[in-house]
Amino acid sequence: MKVYKIKFAETNKIKRVFKLLLEVRLYSGLEKYVQGAKYGKPMKVEMPDGTTGRQLLDKLGIPQEQVFSILVNGTHRDRDEVMEDGDRVALFPPVGGG
Amino acid sequence: MSKIIRVNMTTKKVNIEEVPEKYVGLGGRALTSQVILDEVPPTCHPLGPKNKLVFAPGLLSGTNAPSSGRLSVGGKSPLTGGIKEANAGGITSQKMASLGIKAIIVEGKAEKGTYILRVTADDVELIPADDLAGKGTYELTAILKERYNEKAGVICIGPAGEMKMQSAGITNNDPEGNSSRYAGRGGLGAVMGSKGLKAIVVECDKAFDAPVKDKERFKTAAKKFAQILASHPVTGEGLPKFGTNVLMNIINEAGTLPTRNFSRGRFEGASEVSGEKLAEVATQRGGKATHACHPGCVMRCSNVYPMPDGKVCAPIEYETAWCFGPNLEISDLDVVAKLNYICNDVGLDTIEAGCTLGVLMEAGVLPFGDGEAAIKALEEVGKGTPLGRIIGAGAAVAGKVYGVTRVPAVKGQGIPAYDPRSCKGNGVTYATTPMGADHTAGYAVTANILKVGGYVDPNKEEGQIELSRNLQIATAAVDATGLCLFVAFAVLDNEEGLPTIVEMINAQYGTNLTVDDVTALGQQILKNEREFNKKAGFTKADDRLPEFFYEEELEPHNTKFELKEELDEVFNF
Ligand code: SF4
Repeated sequence: MKVYKIKFAETNKIKRVFKLLLEVRLYSGLEKYVQGAKYGKPMKVEMPDGTTGRQLLDKLGIPQEQVFSILVNGTHRDRDEVMEDGDRVALFPPVGGG
Repeated sequence: MSKIIRVNMTTKKVNIEEVPEKYVGLGGRALTSQVILDEVPPTCHPLGPKNKLVFAPGLLSGTNAPSSGRLSVGGKSPLTGGIKEANAGGITSQKMASLGIKAIIVEGKAEKGTYILRVTADDVELIPADDLAGKGTYELTAILKERYNEKAGVICIGPAGEMKMQSAGITNNDPEGNSSRYAGRGGLGAVMGSKGLKAIVVECDKAFDAPVKDKERFKTAAKKFAQILASHPVTGEGLPKFGTNVLMNIINEAGTLPTRNFSRGRFEGASEVSGEKLAEVATQRGGKATHACHPGCVMRCSNVYPMPDGKVCAPIEYETAWCFGPNLEISDLDVVAKLNYICNDVGLDTIEAGCTLGVLMEAGVLPFGDGEAAIKALEEVGKGTPLGRIIGAGAAVAGKVYGVTRVPAVKGQGIPAYDPRSCKGNGVTYATTPMGADHTAGYAVTANILKVGGYVDPNKEEGQIELSRNLQIATAAVDATGLCLFVAFAVLDNEEGLPTIVEMINAQYGTNLTVDDVTALGQQILKNEREFNKKAGFTKADDRLPEFFYEEELEPHNTKFELKEELDEVFNF
């Protein structure tokens, strides 16, 4: 499992790191933007506290316009909503069928 | 000249009739359901001589309208006991329309023997064909094409239909001759089998020869419609790239993928049987990740999957990958393809077969996750053994035989690939559509999961009744046009979509229909179907989901289905 690290500034003198560990899955062609990713294979991604979907995409290098759906723990989220530690995040381009 | 072909299997007489005034503006599902309501006694035995089978191309079939070659097959369903319209792709609808055939109505019942109906531009002939009895659909289609015409469209049934199994389907071939484009649901294959009709061979070299009144006007509208489809992200990009099975992963992530006979909403092995995997393997083995089920489809959602034994399964649809995959806890795409192929050949609806195997696994007849056992069990169908017949009888019957309480079926028809507890809009459709549990009848996955045509939270009750109602009306109308239902993804998001469909119909028939007329048509179709079912004995109690959806919580969202009396408001128009 690939781990993406981001360095955080230390706050005051207390050594605290505000970060989230997200479990991210990419699907339906989005995986090609991230080296070593495979569709459906969970990746751990470290992000700062207060991270939104938009920031996650930027961090992963996935063009914003390629992503149509962001599911967090199985529920659709707007890309400006803030994520929480341990969230299961799934990213999709436009898909349909039936 | 437009005509109706009427075949009486009791007397073996074929009549060519003029289209009555009343039917002129109808096609596809609008026509099949109207004829069934007008001519079939609702309380008749579905396998008796009084039931009829109606084959009708859609209003736009046989024209250049993109993706318009869908075929409707109607009758009284042996599986549900109610009215049925089953809809198929494949090449035959366009050929029928190009020959000016509005409908083929098959009635009566041959006392014995096997027959085929041969339809050419000049003649319609009922031919004894006892030598073809018991043949699988692939071999049968190849024989008939060779015997009569390599370019023929062959509508046929397999042994399951001949044995009158109530989840037998009716198939027809794609451009390459694969007999895999099914009007699958509701057991109409058994109706065809009961009449002694094994196949209908439609010979016509043209696919786009249906008469069009105003050709220029039609061309402009059809071009515009093609652009509407091409510019929508789902119909223009998503479907052509990975096909319908691209849904596997998003339905899984959304937590509404029925797993282990509807006991959970997520399956760990989902991506192993997903569209991404399918595209990967199909391409590696020289198959196709994208394919059109009939000439002129621009969305090309179909695929060609080469199997390890050298045969090809084309296509593997999402619902089929689900019912033989997550539903049985099987994560091997080759096993899924094999089960799919067996169904296609023996002539069985895949969704019903998968639901039934799920129920049998629940009963302990075979273990969950055991692909080999599933293949062996499904092979019993063609042999007509007692187990094979139970499988061919569908999930509801299998549940009764083995005393299973978790049986996913409404009106006797198995529930497809979206759990109604976390895709509640589809739950409303399953419960209320006159067809029995049918995802296509009002595909609320659009707004619930795919964010097409708005967004309605799939885990909440609010808005689902209205969503399902509107979709059921729109779907009935689309099913009348012969357009593939998948055009709805684009039409729901583009306000020029529906007016452009109406424009094509007006240009073709010289009519002056408006968008409101199309809505009215959709409503009328549903009213007709409801009327038939009511006369057949259906009540409000039949418009409910099975008890366990109201009692057992579905992970991961821990939801139950709550809607009951509210469901009676779906048809308040
Ligand atoms: S979108 Fe798929 S099912 Fe619909 S007509 Fe095209 S190939 Fe056939």
